[in-house]
Amino acid sequence: MNRLVNISLVSITAIAFSACASSSANLSSVKGIDVEKVCSVQNNGIENVIQTAEKYNEIAKRNELEFRRLGVNNSDLIISVKEAIKTGANEVNPKDFKSKASKTKLPVEFAAHRACKFAISALTQANEAKTTWRLAVPGDGYEY
Amino acid sequence: MLTRLLKASVFTSLAFFSLNAGGFDAQAQKDKKELVKYFEAKFQNPYENKNRFFPYSTDEELKDGYAKGLKHMDFGIGSYSYAKDAKQQYEAIKEFPPYEDKIEEGEELYTKKFANGKSLKTCFPNPAIVGEYPYFDTKTQEVISLTTAINKCLEANNEKKWNTKKGQMAKFQAFLAYSTAEAEKNMDIKIPTKKAQEAYERGKEYYYTQRGYLKLSCATCHIQGAGQRVRNEKLSPLLGQITHFPVYRLKWGSLGTLERRMSGCIKDQGQVPPKDDSKKMHELLYFMAYMSNGMPIDGPDVRK
Repeated sequence: MNRLVNISLVSITAIAFSACASSSANLSSVKGIDVEKVCSVQNNGIENVIQTAEKYNEIAKRNELEFRRLGVNNSDLIISVKEAIKTGANEVNPKDFKSKASKTKLPVEFAAHRACKFAISALTQANEAKTTWRLAVPGDGYEY
Repeated sequence: MLTRLLKASVFTSLAFFSLNAGGFDAQAQKDKKELVKYFEAKFQNPYENKNRFFPYSTDEELKDGYAKGLKHMDFGIGSYSYAKDAKQQYEAIKEFPPYEDKIEEGEELYTKKFANGKSLKTCFPNPAIVGEYPYFDTKTQEVISLTTAINKCLEANNEKKWNTKKGQMAKFQAFLAYSTAEAEKNMDIKIPTKKAQEAYERGKEYYYTQRGYLKLSCATCHIQGAGQRVRNEKLSPLLGQITHFPVYRLKWGSLGTLERRMSGCIKDQGQVPPKDDSKKMHELLYFMAYMSNGMPIDGPDVRK
């Protein structure tokens, strides 16, 4: 019986924590972040950088803002870096969005930095755009 | 006296309701008017307007490569309205259009019986409907694109959904577009309610928002950049941009839907494109379609 109570308590706590995490995991969570600082592999270590990339890329995906470069989604770049960390490889060759091998080949540290920068920039850009998009509308903010 | 009072009340109510009904697209109408004004100004005389609109073009190409004095409806053929060289090539290809047999295949799909004995004709008794899509469904409170409507019809009849980008979907849409063009119909998008207006506004925001790792918006290329040369091609304008789909694109070597082209464009901005049947894609198309309101449907067509 005690075990059942414990399991329930743990489950409730986990749900409460995940709910808090997801509610705070919104676009504005990147406000004030210095991208170069948090994405620096030299200063933070590659594991921390890729964790940061993963955290913000999840938010970008939820908001349909994830970056894709040369057929490679940022999430696939993150996966390739994580695998390289495990295997000790110096270079990554991420899968493209069709799950086939891409033409992208990058040094692992550079890939981690890019993945982190892409994840945060997607959110920063979306925040900025809320106030700037009208500047491109003829008859509104765009003057010619 | 009572009759007069009654008549006055009925008149007032009718006026009130009709004003409100018309009010939901007031902003969209203004947006369209401003867009037409912008494009007409831009292509009045590209050479004389070099500093204002074409600072990176050469005098020579502006003098000889662009058509002048374009008006609203001229933009129906996209960049071929102003790109002289490209227009010549376009007209040459149109003499033997590479999509003609696809229209016939699309017509066969229209009447082909489902397992339950019905057909696409049951869902779309009038094939001349391309100008009415996407529309805002007031029952479900969402925008429905032509592609989604076709797949909904297939699903409702226990048939497998089609690929939203090419193949049967593109062929069937080619038949619908051809039928609409034959019936001389124009783009006719409605914004009937407040919710529809909100959907339009979200689509508009998507169009003008910079996205992807290249930080480009759709407008960067197709409004501010329209007519400017990228390598050897001149970028197309938003006006009339979706009146000619599906298109046979030389790059694809096949016929493709509007969603196929849109996904390609968003991917080129450096972002994962929204799914073809997603709310974002539907609302983006809703905005774009409204901007072409009143322009003739002339699909299917050919593009590079």
